[in-house]
Amino acid sequence: MADSDLINRAAGGDAAAFQALVERHRSMVYRVAYQFAGNHFDAEDIAQEVFIKVFRSLDKFRQDAQLSSWMYRIVMNACIDHRRRTSPSGAAPFGEEAEHKMMNTVEDTPGPEERAYAGELGQLLEVEIGRLPPGQRVVFIMRHHQGLKLGEIAEALGLAEGTVKRQLHAAVHRLRHALNGANVTAGERA
Amino acid sequence: MSCDLQAAGTIELYFYGELPQADRAAVQAHLARCAECRAALEDLSVIRAALANRPDVATPPGGDWSGFMRRLTAAVAAEQSLRGPSNATPARPLRRQLAPYLAVAATLAVVSFALITERNPRPAPGATSVVTAPPTAGAAGAQPLRDASLTATDPDPGLLAVSGEHFERSKLVVLGLVTKSGSQDDWAYERDLASSLLGDTRLYRQAAEERGMQPLADVMGDLELVLLQTSMTDEPNEASLHQLQRLIRRRDLLTKMNAY
Repeated sequence: MADSDLINRAAGGDAAAFQALVERHRSMVYRVAYQFAGNHFDAEDIAQEVFIKVFRSLDKFRQDAQLSSWMYRIVMNACIDHRRRTSPSGAAPFGEEAEHKMMNTVEDTPGPEERAYAGELGQLLEVEIGRLPPGQRVVFIMRHHQGLKLGEIAEALGLAEGTVKRQLHAAVHRLRHALNGANVTAGERA
Repeated sequence: MSCDLQAAGTIELYFYGELPQADRAAVQAHLARCAECRAALEDLSVIRAALANRPDVATPPGGDWSGFMRRLTAAVAAEQSLRGPSNATPARPLRRQLAPYLAVAATLAVVSFALITERNPRPAPGATSVVTAPPTAGAAGAQPLRDASLTATDPDPGLLAVSGEHFERSKLVVLGLVTKSGSQDDWAYERDLASSLLGDTRLYRQAAEERGMQPLADVMGDLELVLLQTSMTDEPNEASLHQLQRLIRRRDLLTKMNAY
């Protein structure tokens, strides 16, 4: 059954249709949530919020819209909301006007010297991804992990493509800086 | 970063295959003579390779979705029950599926009413119903929380009452976590207790949100996070315990719970 049919049925009160919708998309949602949060506790929290928001919005889904874009937008907003709730200072809102702040507010978590093993590049990068400002982290995850094009990310998040491009560039810049700061040079990696 | 092409993010677009073919050829020519851009491109390859080797986590621990689905079903049921009669009546299958949760909600309402009746004898006609019991010792700093939400016009004193009871039960877990020092002796007890309290906590948090009782919803949300982490930790190590204790301290959770 197509997603749009499931949404129609779920919006009409069909619990089985809603459950089928959840089962179809829960892996994608959980994967992104885990990549954003870096642990199961927060990933579950985010994923639960996503599906509750989906449930609340069933009757608002436009049939001509892409379900994947709609779902991604809910996931990413849930990630940002979760960070805002759990961060003592709160994360910046996700929008054009907050771009500058998002790009320059580093998460207050332990740095690579505290958490990463020397030579464990993947782990080092995961730690650094977790320290990225939320906007950059979201864009990097969607581009690098999910393989979405910049245009798709921009559509899903309701941002200008140029904004997405700048967020991605800033994220990559920080990750490269972290690699170099950890004295991991190109020669050593080969 | 001295190369304009690199500063403009063009190397990332090249790396991710987002440049038109004509631009790709130009970037390739540029790469042949620009060491900075070659280094950037190599860094991107390293990042991709390193992240590709990391585990792909797309399920809860052990691939077991049952707990997740159970909690989601309960949350959706609570959402549905809180929507009230103004919304469209759900179709029969949903109502049938939600029946157990609606029964729980109804039971809670009865219990709430009983507690309120027991704690606060029916006032004389025309009298206000402000609860005047003093806050628990040590909660002086958080008293405005109570004052702000518990007034004669408060829409749901029943929720406040059952929340207070719930916080009392939950303190067993929170206090246990705060005073723990790395021993895993009775962790199973705390974990199981946390698991048993989690569903109600989420239900109360959502109910508070729905009723616009944000201070209560915030405390429930903090408690929910602590209980969730506790219930999902099989064998705590020093780091995870420290993380939980830090979370409780940063949110000032015990003081806030004492205020109810």
